[in-house]
Amino acid sequence: MLKIDHLVKKYEGFTLDCSMEIKPGCVTGLIGQNGAGKSTTFKAILGLIHRDGGKVELFGKDVDEFTVQDKQKLGVVLSDSGFSGYLDVHDIVPVLANLYDTFDKSFFIKEAQRFGLPMDKKIKEFSTGMKAKLKVIAAVSHQAKLLILDEPTVGLDVVARDELLELLREFMEAEEERSILISSHISGDLENLCDDLYMIHEGKIILHEDTDVLLSDYALIKVSSSQYEKLDQRFILRRRRENFGYSCLTNQKRYYLENYPQIAIEKGTVDEVITMMIRGEKNYV
Amino acid sequence: MKGLLIKDMKLMLNQKKFFTTIGFIALMLVSVAKDTTFIISYMTFIGALFTLSTINYDEFDNGNAFLFSLPVTRSRYVAEKYGFGFLMGGSCWLFSVLIAAVSGEVRKTNSAQDTLLIALEIFPVILILLAMMIPFQLKFGGEKGRIASIAAVGIVFVVCIIAAKAADFLKIDWYALLDSIPKLSWGATVAVTAGIAAVLLLISVRISICIMEKKEF
Repeated sequence: MLKIDHLVKKYEGFTLDCSMEIKPGCVTGLIGQNGAGKSTTFKAILGLIHRDGGKVELFGKDVDEFTVQDKQKLGVVLSDSGFSGYLDVHDIVPVLANLYDTFDKSFFIKEAQRFGLPMDKKIKEFSTGMKAKLKVIAAVSHQAKLLILDEPTVGLDVVARDELLELLREFMEAEEERSILISSHISGDLENLCDDLYMIHEGKIILHEDTDVLLSDYALIKVSSSQYEKLDQRFILRRRRENFGYSCLTNQKRYYLENYPQIAIEKGTVDEVITMMIRGEKNYV
Repeated sequence: MKGLLIKDMKLMLNQKKFFTTIGFIALMLVSVAKDTTFIISYMTFIGALFTLSTINYDEFDNGNAFLFSLPVTRSRYVAEKYGFGFLMGGSCWLFSVLIAAVSGEVRKTNSAQDTLLIALEIFPVILILLAMMIPFQLKFGGEKGRIASIAAVGIVFVVCIIAAKAADFLKIDWYALLDSIPKLSWGATVAVTAGIAAVLLLISVRISICIMEKKEF
């Protein structure tokens, strides 16, 4: 569906060098801190910025050769950009209907009403949450094959976030081959939605893992200094010095549970894995 | 392209008050001014220039990033801006020709035929202005674009002054030179102006596409 091979984009003091793959039927998450390179990756995929190197293939075609017809297969949400604030929802309908051959007008209007979007109010007067809802509804209204969603839930309350995530699940269920690439700073959204996760830090992918594996096999081991010395460190990915000794990240939870029943082992969450991957030091054993 | 045109039309409809005011000024002018043809250049210019405002609207709040993630290519976007300028300028031109012709006939200041002949000379000139201004607007955006356009007109003015001074210095008689050019008929003048406008528009479109291709959002 989407294949990125050493996508390079250089700015002063920052270089993105990213490789990733989104498979058909999968929801893939991209997580990272602010400024890690998430939006740059999204913009390079969409051809909004020029690449300094590497290759981006969408639907088996180089994005540089993308036509209007190819772009119709994409649904896009950008965190820092959207419809002109001087339009209202009614204005948008004929615009989308003429840009997308497969735009489902009745679905769009139905969803806009379901999410309580005022049809005649200028978008610039919308709340942040309303704008976010409108962007997602527009992205899922034209039978896209791939959704590229940069922080789609930003500014939404818990209930609205759940509703939007449900909308994305419905989008995926409607057709088997559909895929989503999504970034969010709310790890809970990604844990519940994504099949696999990429972690990006300072422009580089530092981890790629299936969400199920990440939640079942990754763990945080908390040990004293003396316990750490005796610990088999072959499966420790990162460690961090703490007041009590060390926090260690492993991707072999079961091994440590079976062999070290006396030590504290906490279930890995996406937030903890990110923190350890970024803040922790590499274990070179 | 149609989707973009609809978007710009919708944006334009937000400026109802502005256009009502322009329409009102136009009606005032045709009812008091002796030279009703002025209204044709005024209205056509305002109409054609609205395409520059739509470029501003698109850029506002980083809107271009989202716009170009839709099924829109950069070259189609440029083509739409020129097309929209042509449509708006053309509509305003038609409307103003109509009211100027009616006013000229009613007030016996100009015949409808004279008004139409002058109007046909004005339209390509407005297109030339449009061809000069759109690339600046795309390159520099809102306020900077306006300053750049004014600066460009200023540079042309300075070049003309320098050329005139140089001609004086070199003792070249411009008037004699112009008189020596064979006089063109009205039809030929319009055809030449239209030809120049078409060539400049084509060059301008090419430059605008290059500008947009290089842009990052």
